[in-house]
Amino acid sequence: MINLEVIDDILLKLKNYLQEKQIELVIRKRVYTLAVECLDNIYKHADHTNHISEIISEYPPRFIIEKIYDDFQINTGNIILDINKVKINDKLENLNKLTLDDITILYKKSLTNAEISDKGGAGLGLIVMAKITTQKIKYDFQKINDKFFYFAMQLTIKK
Amino acid sequence: MKTINIASTEKSPKVLFDPKKYIFEMEGNSRPENVRDFFYPIIDTLRDFFEEISPEKKFTDNETAFNFNFKLEYFNSASAKFISDILVIIKNGNDKGLNMKVNWYFDDGDDDMKEVGEDFSEMITFPFSFIMMQR
Repeated sequence: MINLEVIDDILLKLKNYLQEKQIELVIRKRVYTLAVECLDNIYKHADHTNHISEIISEYPPRFIIEKIYDDFQINTGNIILDINKVKINDKLENLNKLTLDDITILYKKSLTNAEISDKGGAGLGLIVMAKITTQKIKYDFQKINDKFFYFAMQLTIKK
Repeated sequence: MKTINIASTEKSPKVLFDPKKYIFEMEGNSRPENVRDFFYPIIDTLRDFFEEISPEKKFTDNETAFNFNFKLEYFNSASAKFISDILVIIKNGNDKGLNMKVNWYFDDGDDDMKEVGEDFSEMITFPFSFIMMQR
């Protein structure tokens, strides 16, 4: 199960790894930033599903970072409520259509209008991801049942 | 006169507000567990202080600016929202005639952190001083 201690532990290990491997500062911080936003997203969606242990064991949260030559790839997966699927899909579809300049404009506009939710989210996570990765975001929704989908996302950081 | 002195942790920045020395400083990482609990008191203190000062009195002579030093290494998207709220307070203070100065620090090689500062500056239409740090 994902909780704040697990997230802190992953981020600390990641930070140490990136430093040890002497990854270029900009890339190191981009990977770290994306990792934080991805883990935040997984954590914020987790409370909908924590009580449904049979689904969680079959569809556990996923967070994988791979270094492929000089690039990094982050793969995430988590259960989301059916009612959130359309919202996430529309956001990603729109972000993937925008140029980097348009994403920056959207980011600035969203920052002004953002409201912080009870869970501490500003609704800016996906926009920040699109801004940082500079690549199109790959994603997929797999239907679990009438109430839940498994949301998978892939982010790439190119040197 | 209310001051702020919060020590940094692995997840939250050092925050210093000392009106007598005309300084506000935020330094380190920002992804606090409860982002609202962390930032609301800071924003309230700054808002109260700068709203109460009348432009005629100002807080200092014309030679000295109130310096806002941002020396952030990393911040998450929720913290970005609150940092933008602080910057709006600075901009509003400046608009009513207070001498405000934003110093945005970034590490040598951290072009993204500089760019984030430029985005903020454009967003609030207020010029920042950009200072590169060697570590």
